[in-house]
Parts: sequence; structure tokens; C-alpha cells
Amino acid sequence: MSVAAGPLRLPFERPNVLDLAPLYEILRREAPVTPVTTPVGDPAWLVTRFDEVRALLGDKRLGRSHPEPELASRISTAAVQDGPMGDYETEEADHTRLRRLLTPAFSAKRMRALTEYMQALVDGYLDRLVTEQASAPDGVVDLHAGLALPLPVAVICRLLGVPESDREHFRSLSYRMANYASCGDDAYQAWNEFTEYMRGLVETKRAELCEDVISDLVRAQDEDEEFDYDEMISLCVGLLFAGHETTANRIGLGTLFLLSRREHWEDLTADPAGRVDATVEEIMRLGAPGDLGLLRYAHTDLDIADVTIPRGDAVILSINAANRDQSVYSDAEAFAPDREERSHLGFGHGPHFCIGASLARTELRIVFAALAQRLPSLRLARNMDELEVCTTITGGVTELPVTW
Amino acid sequence: MKVTVDQETCVGSGQCALAAADVFDQRDEDGIVVLVDPVPPADLAADVSHAAVMCPVQAITVED
Repeated sequence: MSVAAGPLRLPFERPNVLDLAPLYEILRREAPVTPVTTPVGDPAWLVTRFDEVRALLGDKRLGRSHPEPELASRISTAAVQDGPMGDYETEEADHTRLRRLLTPAFSAKRMRALTEYMQALVDGYLDRLVTEQASAPDGVVDLHAGLALPLPVAVICRLLGVPESDREHFRSLSYRMANYASCGDDAYQAWNEFTEYMRGLVETKRAELCEDVISDLVRAQDEDEEFDYDEMISLCVGLLFAGHETTANRIGLGTLFLLSRREHWEDLTADPAGRVDATVEEIMRLGAPGDLGLLRYAHTDLDIADVTIPRGDAVILSINAANRDQSVYSDAEAFAPDREERSHLGFGHGPHFCIGASLARTELRIVFAALAQRLPSLRLARNMDELEVCTTITGGVTELPVTW
Repeated sequence: MKVTVDQETCVGSGQCALAAADVFDQRDEDGIVVLVDPVPPADLAADVSHAAVMCPVQAITVED
């Protein structure tokens, strides 16, 4: 098998929700920076090897903005990671300012302070699932609806100051917004509706600002002429979307990895406290939500891996492929929490490193330790291949039928 | 073991403070790293080297 002559078209079909298309291994070896056609038919560069992906994530010659946004390649019909974002002239300064503003709210100390609250939530969800399972005729319950989704939703609502009672509304908007298989401009309509919802919420909260991230952003926007109102609203939408969607999917993928590789689940149940950190890191490395990658645009001509990427070209950094690079990880495709290589690009790298990494790590550790402790005989109630996979850029499954 | 941090490079990801809370902290105002213990005890060596590896901008240096 060799790489085809013309540009390959994304996404590459994968065998199941856990494994990647075998083509990625060939690309890493033979064409680590390769021209591709995006799902909407525009040209882009796909980067698959760990070293190049890591280097480009930290490279200031790439950005999320485009010098001429109307000419930029589009990636998908989703309304997230679909095209250029932000102002080309001021991107770096804007990003630094927003990052400094948001970072304290997501600090390791703040997340540690939330541990008891998260633990109580998880205990409550598991209590309910146990009751539900006892009375279910087939003994099967949905771990997605009963734990994977409500936990990150509750936590991000509390952090941002969003009423949890709105969850059905913003959940469905999030799904539509991130869907790259939707017809017409539904993802954009969802983005507009989400923006509208957020404006309403911000204006309601303005009357009585509290100790939460949206209140902080409202105050900061009030005090800073450079901080545009619409930019603040977009940021709030982005935080609410990314703050629950990604973690919910990761809980699902992690559960599937562990339950389909029983020996690792048994290792975890034998010593949840001692093994959970390494298990979560392996879930972050190998869990591969979505089939695209992180989108950047070249802000100048740049040479990488014997390829010259011209200014303005779209670059898709495949975190999924980089995290399975055999030149970095031994037996890279294997789920092996005990592996020696402990770093990965699951939260990105460089100045755009995921601001919610401490939040996600804390949530995931609590979830998987609690599951292993409370439900050691947990198993999937259906064949993994029968589970419905989301057609969103954040991937994952829509249900997780389990029993014990 | 001697630890140094570069506050100019730091982007406030807080992964060091999550990995080794006795050695690293974050400034309240902007989340930038604060070195609590530049010469940590030997039993924290694994956590400290993990913190250095996890840093997304290589702002942590550990010398033996």
C-alpha cells in the first residue's frame, strides 16, 4: 500500500470509534506533511508526525486567523474549527490578553478546591445508576446519559455561572454546532442561536454579577475598550461548548478502552487510587475524538519536513495521529497505562495549550477511580460496533449501555 | 535536585501545580507559575520530573 497520487480527502474512514484509519501510519512514515482536501473540498496540509505536530503547535508563524479570511480554506460545515477566527493583525496580543484573564479561574488550585464537589456529584450519579440498574428489566443502564454527560455539564455550569436548568437547550445547540454532517447551514444557525442565548444570559447576569467566569468576563469587558462585546460573547459560547462536550466524550472513550481491554480494567479496579492518573493519561493520549485535527493558517511561508507551506494555507494538525507515532511511543496503538512515555498532545502544546486541562484531568481522575471502586464488574451491554458515533468535530458516542 | 522556572515563558497551564503542588503554585492574578520549593526533597523527584515533562512550553528545568 502506498500513498495515492492526488490529494487525499478528509476524513479518513476509521474502523471503529477507538481505532484510527491505518492510512495515518503510512502518512507519518512517508508524508508527515501532506496536501489533503478538506471535507468541504478546500485544499489544506495535514500534519501527522509527533515532532512536526508538536513543533507547529508552538510555532508563532501559524495562527487561528487568516490574512484574508474570505480567501481562507474552509474545513467543514460545522461552526467550530471550520475556518479562520480572530483578527490577523492583533491575534497574538488578543490571545495573550484573554488567556491571562481566564487562566486564574481554571488554575490547578481552583480545580483541586472543586474535588469534593465533583466527588459528591459523581457519587450521586453512581447512586442513581445503581438504583436504576436494579429496577431495569434487562439490568442495562446508559452511562453516557447517567454520568459522562451530566458531570461535565454540572461542573462547567457552576464554573461559568450558567443555570443547569438550561442544559437541554445548550446541549442540543452544542451538538448541532459541532456537527459536520449536517445539511445546509444548520451548524451556523445553531451558532447564532447559541450566541443569542448567551447574550440573554450575560445581560441577565449583569444585574447581579457573582464569582464566576462569565461575571469575570463581563467585568473585564466593561473595563477594557479593546475587549469587544461580541468577542466576549463568542468566548462564553466557546467555553460552555468546549467545557462539557470534550470531557463527556473523553469519559465515553475511556470507558470503551477499559471495558474492551479487560485486563486494564481489572488492573484499575485492583488499585484505583494508585493507577488512575496513568490510566487517564493513556485515555488522553489514545482517545481520538473526531477525524480532523486542530486548524491553523500559515502567517508566513514556512518550511517543515521538506515541504514549503505558503502563507495563508490551511494546516490541520492531527493530534490523533501524532499521539500514535511509533517513533515516539513503543507499541503506539496499544492501550498501555504503564508505558514509560508519559507526555502526549491530548491537550495540545505551546501557548494554546488547553486552558481546561486541569479541570478535565481532575474530572477524569475522579470519574474513573469512582467507577473502578464502585462498579468493578462493569461491562458493556452491547457490542462496541453497534454504538452510535457522533458526527461532530469532538466525536465520541451518543450512548453507553452498560451493566454489571 | 534543583528546580528553576521561567515565568516569561510560562502560559499558566498549571500542569506543574497539578502534578507537584508542594513545589509549584500559580499566581492568583494571572495563573503564572510560582516556585514554592526550589530544592524539593528526593521523594518528590518523580512528581517534579513529571511536572517538567507535562509543561506545554518547557518552562521548567530540573537539575540533579
